[in-house]
Amino acid sequence: MNIFSGFSLIAHSIPYIVNGVWTTLEIALVSAVTGMVLGILLSLCKIGRIKILALLADFYTSIFRGTPLILQLTIVYFATPQLIGYDISAFLAAVITFGFNSGAYMSEIIRSGINAVDKGQFEAAGALGVPYGAMMKDIILPQAVKKILPAMMNEFITLTKESAIVSTIGVLDLMRRAQVVAAENSLYFPPLIVSFVVYYFLIMILTILGRLFERRMSRSD
Amino acid sequence: MIKVEQLHKSFGTNEVLKDISLEIKKGDVVAIIGPSGSGKSTLLRCINLLETPTQGNIFIDDQNVTTINNRNMIKIREKVGMVFQHFHLFPHKTVLENLTYAPVKVKNKTKQEAVQIADELLKRVGLSEKAEAYPSRLSGGQKQRVAIARALAMEPDYLLFDEPTSALDPEMVKEVLDVMMDLAKQGMTMAVVTHEMGFARMVADKVIFMDKGQILEVAPPEEFFSHPKTDRAKDFLEKVL
Ligand SMILES: Nc1ncnc2c1ncn2[C@@H]1O[C@H](COP(=O)(O)OP(=O)(O)OP(=O)(O)O)[C@@H](O)[C@H]1O
Ligand SMILES: [Mg+2]
Repeated sequence: MNIFSGFSLIAHSIPYIVNGVWTTLEIALVSAVTGMVLGILLSLCKIGRIKILALLADFYTSIFRGTPLILQLTIVYFATPQLIGYDISAFLAAVITFGFNSGAYMSEIIRSGINAVDKGQFEAAGALGVPYGAMMKDIILPQAVKKILPAMMNEFITLTKESAIVSTIGVLDLMRRAQVVAAENSLYFPPLIVSFVVYYFLIMILTILGRLFERRMSRSD
Repeated sequence: MIKVEQLHKSFGTNEVLKDISLEIKKGDVVAIIGPSGSGKSTLLRCINLLETPTQGNIFIDDQNVTTINNRNMIKIREKVGMVFQHFHLFPHKTVLENLTYAPVKVKNKTKQEAVQIADELLKRVGLSEKAEAYPSRLSGGQKQRVAIARALAMEPDYLLFDEPTSALDPEMVKEVLDVMMDLAKQGMTMAVVTHEMGFARMVADKVIFMDKGQILEVAPPEEFFSHPKTDRAKDFLEKVL
């Protein structure tokens, strides 16, 4: 059987696989937003004056960076239900794991961005009597985010790609759907190539959107 | 009135300010001069609570600011404006937004009031046509004039300048000094760390000479410049004049 007949054999399943892109994107987006919020909070703890919060935030980060993501996912999905006595949906397990994991990485990115903001900006805001919270929100973070936009975009792209491991807990994302079709037909190459191509275009589109966004943001320079 | 009493400030074991006492009366212009590293910036930064003194007291309008809580600290900072050598404008905000941000946020002015004040100030520093520009589009002199306007937008009672013209190309120094002279004429209370001896001589009511963390001389400018008392002041003046 040649490759083309393989594709025609699974032709009716191709839309099913391609539509997995929405699940993949949904997980990536929800996790990214969670990660962003967590990342901001953690980075503020890390640069703040309260030592215990800084230590906790560093500890949090080291845990998520120091263990395999797939193990974190497995623990959240399979182990925590035994602990708390409630089942947790595969989707929820996925966004919790990825969101919390991404928060750890984001906090490091955001921290480096805050440190890259000129110390004079803190002083100018301070000298004008701007309170700490407002200074961070209106003066420091906007400048920090601008500096780390490429790194954040990178993190989002990694997140989107790595989300493929949610297939291991049965979430019907792009990856899992290709596997399902492959198993049903005992035919691997065509369905996997379909998801391969969809991932590739998805990431390309995100990259281009990211560049456009960066350009928009740098207008004031 | 700003009153500094026996102020000490150390960074680690390095004592940068040693027993500083001084007074700045309402309406006075005080020029603070001295060699690099003598502690001039640190002194201004202590007055503005950007640094915490190691010892001593600072009174601003009879309030001791060395033992102040956060809320009152903001009140003091509203009263005392600061202009930095490197401007520190907010780069992601337009000139107008730079001027209106703090008044709206800190003094709870309405957007409208703040814009009105900002418009007048921009007119005063000659930059009305730059209201919508971002700081990156301005020359150094223009940036510093905006920074002065930004400080004035808070309607401070005192204005501290830390070498406001030192980062400027020579041809831009005058436009900034002109704005400062105008302020002095309007009766603004100012403490100016400067290397512009001409400005100190012409505008200051009082010159404070610092060296190695100490105040060595306090005198009216004509007296200080023509008859410096200490050798170190003589040396310093020989080098800069
Ligand atoms: N944050 C700091 N940490 C440690 N040392 C500091 C700090 N800020 C200033 N110093 C030290 O304090 C001393 C006085 O510095 P300061 O900036 O007040 O001097 P200055 O008179 O303003 O000098 P210049 O004319 O160069 O601006 C210097 O020796 C400097 O190295
Ligand atoms: Mg200095």
